[in-house]
Amino acid sequence: MTTLEIPNIGTFDVELWEEGSGAPLLYLHGYERHPGGAGFLKRLAADHRVLAPEQPGYGNSTGFEHFTDVHDVALFYRELVESWGLESVDVVGHSLGGMFAAELAAIAPRLVRRLVLVNAYGLWLDDEPSLDPFGPADQVKAAKWHAGPPDVEPTNFVPDPDDPHAPILFSARNLGSATKFMWPIAERGLRRRLPLVDAPTLVVHGTSDGLLPVSYAEEFVRLIPDARLHRIEAAGHYPMVEQEDEFVSAVSTFLAG
Amino acid sequence: MKFHWFAQQYYSKLPPEYGDTVDSSWVTPPASYADPRQVGEDYHTYIRLMQQADGLGWDSLLLNEHHQTSLAMTPSPNLIASILAATTENAAIALCGNSLALYNPPIRVAEEIAMLDALSGGRIIAGIVFGTPMDSAFSYGVPPVELRERFHEARELITRAWKAEEPFAFNGKYTKLRYVNPWPRPIQDEIPVWIPGSGSVETWDVVNALDYCYGYLSFSGKQSAEPIVKGFWEHTRATGGNMNPNRMAFTQVICCADTDEEAERQYSDAVKYFYRQNPTAIWQATPPGYTSQASIRENLTRAKTISAEERLKAQRGELSFWEYDELGYIIAGTPERVEQRVRELVTDLRIGQLITCMHVGDLAEDVTAKNNHLFGTQVIPKLRDVWADEEDRWTPKVSQERVAARFGPHATV
Repeated sequence: MTTLEIPNIGTFDVELWEEGSGAPLLYLHGYERHPGGAGFLKRLAADHRVLAPEQPGYGNSTGFEHFTDVHDVALFYRELVESWGLESVDVVGHSLGGMFAAELAAIAPRLVRRLVLVNAYGLWLDDEPSLDPFGPADQVKAAKWHAGPPDVEPTNFVPDPDDPHAPILFSARNLGSATKFMWPIAERGLRRRLPLVDAPTLVVHGTSDGLLPVSYAEEFVRLIPDARLHRIEAAGHYPMVEQEDEFVSAVSTFLAG
Repeated sequence: MKFHWFAQQYYSKLPPEYGDTVDSSWVTPPASYADPRQVGEDYHTYIRLMQQADGLGWDSLLLNEHHQTSLAMTPSPNLIASILAATTENAAIALCGNSLALYNPPIRVAEEIAMLDALSGGRIIAGIVFGTPMDSAFSYGVPPVELRERFHEARELITRAWKAEEPFAFNGKYTKLRYVNPWPRPIQDEIPVWIPGSGSVETWDVVNALDYCYGYLSFSGKQSAEPIVKGFWEHTRATGGNMNPNRMAFTQVICCADTDEEAERQYSDAVKYFYRQNPTAIWQATPPGYTSQASIRENLTRAKTISAEERLKAQRGELSFWEYDELGYIIAGTPERVEQRVRELVTDLRIGQLITCMHVGDLAEDVTAKNNHLFGTQVIPKLRDVWADEEDRWTPKVSQERVAARFGPHATV
């Protein structure tokens, strides 16, 4: 747990998964939950200092009530990175974390060295409406995965033997916090700010994502001045899980460049 | 005690298979199921029935707000209320209520309620609601996690606007107005405010802090509501709140007839239509962020007084008519039987404001009119003694006086 105090705003107690050494890499997790020490993070930590905070409002992380909109989130991450004494970081943002990562890159261009957006939310295409991530649970679950859901989805949830309701409360808190930025449509004006992103950007997209069609990734590439697309076949909303090797390789290569 | 006439303004001509074929009767059912001409006729039916109830001694005519659903085609209760305000004499008009978080700016609600209060001569009860998830989160797109904060900000604006003597500026998080000065103001100095809820402890605390009337408005009756209503009173007692039973409103389906057999014959199909034509998709009923962590935990641990099997059968229209009655979904039978069952209900659950649902599903107008007549003339007068010594600040003075003047001194405190 790390604590960030922003004067006159409030206190954020944030769960932080940290591993490795080398160039700092900020990882912002997706809308469902923090992945915990998932395989892809450990592998990225082989040659990076990976800093993966849990978003305020998720799990045990507090301070969600200090956010009025997505700009507050971007400024929170700016403060958080600066509180670690870092002058610049590589940022990898997945899903809703991709929206936050892109906002951060637009609002703090000198802080973000390179940017990776993975199946990122933040845009809306009238011609290709994306599925409602808060729709029927079985439909959403099926849409997320290319080859069906794994036995255990990556998570930082720790079961409590004394609290049978803990899993329900964990999920409700996480997704409830996501609604602030994704309900009813996961678009908060990012389109107008993507042209201001200076960082070289890799847009990674699992092409079987039933939540976000690949056209959304193409739109990110079109709007960000220096961006390229890496499609990952046979992967859905979690390409880092379904195609871990290719994901780690693509991200590592891009960040080394 | 007080009686509030109510009907869930159902679409009355749904095909028999509707309940089995639509994913949900909310948010996404094809609107083509409802012929607007039929809807118009249904509105007229409900208005006639409420006008009749005004002449039979009901204390208020109650309207609710729902969106994108076949079971309550009342996206704006205020529109029907304005007709009643101009065409009725005695009963209050209970808006139960306006979904505050859905209006931008919410000062619109302050204006419309003040208009209605002026038009009705001070007979408005201002129920204010969060709205069901289907209404507020899905149909109107409010992020569930923001709903309560938006509601309370709007509530503060509206209640202040009704009383402010000078224009004021309101710099809220969601609403910013430089000049708040609505015309007209309400006739009533203190418009009675009700906040119906579904058992959230946070709502109980707000209602108690402001000494408002709480409402538990389900159609599942006494048995399934008991843990929540009694939970409210236990919480209120424990936290030093006002235990006046007139602070509790409760919905009850009433099916009154000359004989018990007649009740079954006349109401059974409509009751089953009412319950089985209302499938609610689980994902629409439980969006994340709508319910606080504390209230989720409360819901998960609250005692269940009705089995899951019974609940499912009730929702599918598979209970017998008298099983619905036994579980409290409906109170049916002769006026004597109905009186006795209502008396048990309201004394046991400490209910001072009974919302009598006199029409269900596709019930014929003449049967409903008979229901009104029997209940109004043979049940209400006999139940006026209940809680008669308790003060009632949660219904308008004007309607209390007029109902008492016309229907006898026991009609009010």
